[in-house]
Order: sequence, then C-alpha cells, then structure tokens
Amino acid sequence: MKYSFLDNTLLSRLGSLPIDARVPMLGNVAGKHRSPHRGSSVEFAEYRKYVPGDDTRRLDWKAFARSDRFYIKEFEADTNLRAYFVVDASGSMKFAGQGEAKIQYARRIAASLSYLLVNQGDAAGLSICTDKLHLEVPPSRRAAHLDRLFSTLDNLQPSGPTGLLEALHTIAEKISQRAFVVILSDLFTEPEALGDALQHLRYRKHDISVFHLMDPLEISFDFERPHRFVDLEDQTALVVEPNLVAEEYKTALRDFLAEVRAKCHDAAADYQLVTTDTPLEPLLRDFLTARLPKSKH
Amino acid sequence: MLWGLFAASIPVIIHLLNRRRHKTIQWAAMQFLLKATRESRGKKKLRHFLILACRTLGIAALMFAAARPIISGLLGWGGGQIDMVVLVLDRSASMELRSGDGQAPRRQMVLQKVRDSMQTLGNARLVLIDSATENPQDIPSPEVLAELSSAAATDTEADFPTLLNRAAEFLQNTPGRAEIWLASDLQSSNWHPDDERWAAARASLADLPQKPAVRVLSISGTSAPNTALSILSSRRAGDELLLDLELLQTTEARGSVNIPLTANLNGTRTTDSLTIPGQSLRLQKRLTLPPGSETGYGWLSIPADGNDRDNVAYFAYGPARAVKTLIVSPPGETAAYLALSSAPPDFGRQQAEIIDPTRATDLKTSDVATVLWAAPLPTGTAAESLTRFIASGGQVVFFPSGKAPTGNFLDQNWQPAQDADRDKYFIIKEWNHADGPLRDGLNGTPIPADRIKAIRRQVPIGSAAVLARWEDGEPFLTRQILDRGTIWFVSSAPDYTWSNLGDGDVLLPLTQRIVALGTERFDAAYIAAVGSEPGSSLPGEVRSRLDDFGSPDPANIDHLGGVFKLGDRLIALNRPAAEDTLEILNREDLDTALSGTGYTLLEQAGQADDPSLSRDVWRAFLIALIFFLIAEALLCLPSKTTVQVLTPQPSKH
Repeated sequence: MKYSFLDNTLLSRLGSLPIDARVPMLGNVAGKHRSPHRGSSVEFAEYRKYVPGDDTRRLDWKAFARSDRFYIKEFEADTNLRAYFVVDASGSMKFAGQGEAKIQYARRIAASLSYLLVNQGDAAGLSICTDKLHLEVPPSRRAAHLDRLFSTLDNLQPSGPTGLLEALHTIAEKISQRAFVVILSDLFTEPEALGDALQHLRYRKHDISVFHLMDPLEISFDFERPHRFVDLEDQTALVVEPNLVAEEYKTALRDFLAEVRAKCHDAAADYQLVTTDTPLEPLLRDFLTARLPKSKH
Repeated sequence: MLWGLFAASIPVIIHLLNRRRHKTIQWAAMQFLLKATRESRGKKKLRHFLILACRTLGIAALMFAAARPIISGLLGWGGGQIDMVVLVLDRSASMELRSGDGQAPRRQMVLQKVRDSMQTLGNARLVLIDSATENPQDIPSPEVLAELSSAAATDTEADFPTLLNRAAEFLQNTPGRAEIWLASDLQSSNWHPDDERWAAARASLADLPQKPAVRVLSISGTSAPNTALSILSSRRAGDELLLDLELLQTTEARGSVNIPLTANLNGTRTTDSLTIPGQSLRLQKRLTLPPGSETGYGWLSIPADGNDRDNVAYFAYGPARAVKTLIVSPPGETAAYLALSSAPPDFGRQQAEIIDPTRATDLKTSDVATVLWAAPLPTGTAAESLTRFIASGGQVVFFPSGKAPTGNFLDQNWQPAQDADRDKYFIIKEWNHADGPLRDGLNGTPIPADRIKAIRRQVPIGSAAVLARWEDGEPFLTRQILDRGTIWFVSSAPDYTWSNLGDGDVLLPLTQRIVALGTERFDAAYIAAVGSEPGSSLPGEVRSRLDDFGSPDPANIDHLGGVFKLGDRLIALNRPAAEDTLEILNREDLDTALSGTGYTLLEQAGQADDPSLSRDVWRAFLIALIFFLIAEALLCLPSKTTVQVLTPQPSKH
C-alpha cells in the first residue's frame, strides 16, 4: 500500500472481526446492523398478536396449531452503518515525544477502521477540523471511496488551535441519520464545552467513540533540566524548571483526564485514553471485541 | 580555606548555569503547564531556594569543620573590621611544654598563629599584655613577636583575672573596635575560676564604650613526655641539707621510669639514678655540706624532656642554727616526755627549754622553731606573743592539761576532760596516712598510731582540720594554719594518767615532724617562688644571678628561676609549685569565669586532647552540616499528596 499509516498485516488480522454498532442504525441499504424498524431479515425479534391487515405470510402456523391463536412472527430489520471519523488537526496533534506523533496515530486508527468498515459493506466518512478548516469526506460504501479518504488523511497538516467542538456540533446538526462517530483527538479543550458537544451528539442518537490520544511524555512529564516550552498551537514560550512544577502539572492533568472521562461517561461515549506508544493491533482488537453483541461472543 | 568557601558557591553556580542551559521543546499540553507554573510560583520557589541555601551552607559548614583552624576562628566570627587586638599572653612555665610531636613549645605555637592571624587583619594595632609583667606593650609588627623578651619563656605563673582586668583598663583608655585574645594552656591554677576578681574584670569589660570580642585561644593538647622536678622544702640540719623533692610525670605514666638526678652543690656535681614508680615520686635528698660551710647554693636537675622549664630546682642555705623547742608545761611527766621527743640526746643541734606556765606571759620566740604547750590555753600577752610567733611561721602544739576550759585561743578551745570507762580505752581508729605529722614514712611504713591507748582525753573544739580520730569519731589531732604558721591540738597527753603517748613510737615522729616544719621558718628565707614577695627585689636591692645553669635572658632576670643575690640576701627562686599541676580548666569553669563576655573558645587544630574544650569550635560546624543535610533531604522529599500514576484506561459503555 502506498500509505504509511496502513498496515496490511494488521488489517488482515482484524478483518475477521466485524464492527458492530452499539445502537440500532437507520439506513437505506440492507446490511448487518440492527435497525429500529421491523423488517425482513432472518433475525427473529418477537411474537405479537395478529391484527387484521397483517401479512398472512408472517403468521406462525405452528403457534396457531399449539394455541389456537394467531401470532405474527416479527423479524429485525437489518441496515448498514455510517461511520464518521472526526480527526483533530490542531497544532497540538503534531507533538511527538516518546511515541509517534499523535496525528500519525490518529491516521492509523482512522484508516484501519475505515478500511474494515467499507470491507464489511458499511460507509465510512471523514471530518477533519481545525479552528479555520472543517474538511469533510462524506461517508460512502464504495471501495473506491477509501482511496479518497486515505489521501485526505495523508495530506493532513495539523496547525493552529483546535476546532473540534465546532466540528462535533456541526456533525450533530448535519447528519440526520444515526451514525457511528469516532473522535480522534488529544481533547485539549474545555471539558465543559466538550461535554456539551458530546451531549449534542448523544441527543441525535449517534454512537460515539472517543480515542483520547496522549503522548507518554505528556503524562510522565519526565524532564531533568530546565526547558523552554513552546506552544504548538499559538507559539507562546515558557521557561520552566520541570522539577519545580512536575507535581502541579500532574495534578492538573489528572484532574483534566478525570473530568473528560466523566463527560464521556455522561454522554454514553466509549472512551479510551490511549498513549501513542500503545501497539495498535491489541488496541483495535479490544475495541472491536468490546463492541460485539453479547450473543455473538 | 578560601578554596573551601569557593566550594560553597558551587551549588549556586550550578543552579545559574542550569538556568542558562535550557533546551527548547515544542509542547502540546501547555494548558497544564501554565496552570502548574501559576500554582507553584510561591512556595515551590521558596522551597527551591531553601534547598539551595542548605546545600551551600552544608558545604561551607563541612569546610569549616574540616579546616578547624585558628585563623578562621579568630577572624571569621568577629564580624567587621577591628582596629586593635589585645593579646594576653600566658608566659607561665607550663606554656613551655612541647606539643605531642615535640616540635615547638605551646607559647611559640600560639605566637606563630597570632602572627599569621595579624597578617590577615591588615593594619590592626597589636598590643601585648604578658603574664609576667602584666603591662600593655605596643608591638610594632607581629613579625617580631617571637623575638621579643616580653614574649619569651619565664618561670612565673599567670594570673588571668588580673590580666583580663589589665586588658579592660587598657581599652578604657584606648577606645576603638578591639578584640581580646587570651592565649593560654588553660591551666586551672593560672585561671583561678572561683576568684572574686573575675566579677570585677567582667564589670570592667562591660563598662567599655565598645564591648570587645573575647577569644580564648586554647593551646591545650597532646604533649611530649615530661617530668617536672620541684623542691617541696629545704632544711639545714647541722652539716646536712635536707631537701624534700617531688618528681611528677605530666604525661600518663606507664610503668616505672628511671631518671638520673644531678645535684650541683656549690659547683660540685653528683648524679644519682631514681626510679619513678608511677606518676609521681616524693623523696628526701640529703646533701652533705662541706665542712665549715656557712652559706651556699646549688641546684638539682633532670635531663631535658617535654618542658625545659621544669627540669631544674634551685636551693640555697644559710648558717646552721640550733633548733630550739619551747615547752610550756608544769614540771612532770608530760614536760619530760615532750622535752625528750623534741630534743632527743645526740640529735644534732636540737634543744628544748621547759617553762612553767606561770612564767609564760612574755615568750621570747625569735630563735624558737616550735612551742609545745601543755597547759591551759594562753590568754593576754602570752596569747598575743604566741599569735605573732605563729604568724611568722612558728608551730604551736597544744596538749591537754586536764583543767577546766577557760577562754578561746584563735577560736579554738578544749572540751572538759573525759575518762574512759573502766577497763576500756580510747583507741585511735583512723588517721591521715598521706598528710600531717602522722603520715607514713618515705618508705611507706605507717606510724603505729593505733597502738595508743588513752584512759583520759580532752577533745578540742573549733573549725580546724581533723587529721586523726578516736574510735568514736572525736578528733585526736587537729591542724589550723594561720598565716605562715600552724596550730596543732593533740587530745591526750604523754602522761601515764592520760595515755601511753609517751612510749615514743608516735610522739617522737609527731614532735620531730612538727619541729622540722618549725625550722623551715628560718630556712624559708633562702628559697622562694619566682614572682612571690620574698623573691622580689626590695627598693635599693640589686639583683644578680649566682648560678650558671642554662643560658638565662638578662632582660627577663626578674621572671626566671635561679640563685640570686638580692642586696645582701641569698635566695633560690623556683617556678611556683602550681605550674606543675596537671589540672586543666573545664568548660563549666571557663563559662563561669567569662560569663557575659560572649567569649569564643578556639583551639589549635589537631591538638585537642580534651574534647569538651574543642567541641563548640568545630563540632558545632559538624552539627550544622548534619542539620543542613537533613533539612535539604526533607525539603527534597516529595510532598505527601502523591499524584496518582496516570495510566491509559478505557471506559467501556
């Protein structure tokens, strides 16, 4: 493959695992995902009493023979899944301390999941956000669409402050049907505002997954000598004696992570704090396995 | 030392270099960094600077503790420039004791240190008050200090209360920012810590317009092996000169030591070998005088050792004279026994004269060594003449008369006579074997005082020292010293109606020893201590040295031992006996003597043998070092509110 963020071995290993939606999906194409509507799939849903006007072909004659009552067999409708990968392209995503750059890690996740989704007949789309740019690649099931998606990811150049919150609100308003929204960001924004954006998505009944990307160095803050820290988003600089502020830094970070986690929990989002030195395969396998319906385990 | 102080600045230099050598890093999580910086600005910075201060002070304390120098102590603690240093120099004989390595006497060591210290003080004026002359003297340059006669060795003793007072008087007339340096070996006999004159000296210092800093420069420490020779007493007995000698080892004695003793009598030398069994040896040296010798002199010496000033003892003697004892007693057995014991037949020139108490109103005692008084205590003119006799060095022994007590004599009196129970005796239970006339002989043989059986006794009352007691604790023999003489009370009489004291084995040594003490009254004029009143020149007297021992400095002739002709007088002058004592002033006594002066005690590096004296100089720095290290470690400890380890943890829904 011509894209560095795609790993053939990884994709072939994960190919056997389906990507399931945690909430019923609405779609105009029959697929493998549950729909809130009753349909004609092979998946039995429930019995209900016959009412005049029902299709007699759906009467359960065996039940009639046993109970002398008419019952209609209902089956779940299957539909396809529409996934949106929201990739934060702010300057902070460029940071590469002890792991790879956060944006590169985000590329790998978005590309791998997109590939798997399209491969199983679902639609994958992309939403890239900065404070100035909100680039969207609409979801599509076509294999040819993947190349456009990968190309967009490849050309991504993170810079400036984050536009994640605006992007999430836009997606919540814009997408009329239920969708699988995967957020890939370091979430360096106000947790309160982030909570509002997630609640907006939840209100629209979207299935939300958050990959919170952090560099190991950002967590450990392991520095010996004084450093001049230059902000990747607005280029402000600060000379700091790390051992003087390490404790306060870690306390502030811990509070932030706890708050973000709580906000995701409130919005019923699937939250994962991921450091960029984490191997991708076990991460995605665990992610996908956890999403499988329990009956399929 | 300067390098050490430079080392103390290393933590600061490292800190400053570190601040300049920062790396630039592009950083994403800026919001937390800004928040952390805001929160840690106050107390964290303070803590950081405290750590830095602890490290700096810790290194400085280590340097001071390791150096332990005099200079740093003398100059480092004063605070500010000083105009003048008043050096109070102990020139006593004990200051000539060499240090453990045998290199230099303590006096020279301290002069060297003072000279070095003065060089770092720049143009500060140096004033010397030496213990021999006790007069302030301007020293033009510290370089010449060691060559000055007024800083040379003497055979005197030092009197520090007076010296400090002199320093205060001098500063009273010479205002300025001054320091007083007391350079001494802290020999207790030179400091008189309980002397009331300290209060006056301290008050004089406190009254000064600018209170000077007081530094005590102690030169006590390990010393080279040393033996001190001294003459305790000298007495001429006919054609013999009896010298009571003492040899004292000033270092820890290990086994017996053989030492040659050279005697020089009127230019004739003889040498004997002595064995000192332990730390000290007392012996009587008998020198046979040349036939027809009226007066003469000489010295005793031992080989050179740790202190050159205490290896010689000088003596001189005058014409032989009769040793006369006056016995005031009614005729009878007591008078006879006392006469026999004080002047036994064939006992040289000893004489005894018995006087009836009724005729003892006006005693002629100018040629009398001892008075034995076996009668009611004297009153009136008899008491007055006896008091004068005692004050001039005479010895008076009172024996009981059995009469009812009358008036006191010098606050002493008799109790009524007591008779022992039938078939019982008063027995002497304990007596002083080391001191007094019942002391053991030179060869260790005890006086058989426990053989005395008394059927009658008359116990003295008063504040005299008890040297022997009866079985029931009542005194048998007491001693009261009055001026140069002594009053003795014996509580039974050599009479068969009193006791068997007349048997002689106790009475004879008792009487003879007291008579010997009495004869020193005449011989004392020939021997004295350097600096004492008899040894000082009277107005008009010319002092000339007769002996040829050593190479004395003519400029210090008034402060050196030797045999001298003072006008018409012949006198041998020796260093004061107190200079041989080993007792060193302890810290509590020094605190008492110099209380309120805020003094600093400093000690020669590497020479301390008394840890209590050097503790506050360098141990204080060690304690400070430990304190700073502990403080630094505590400040470096992470705070108790530990931050939880941040690990990625997915939240599943």
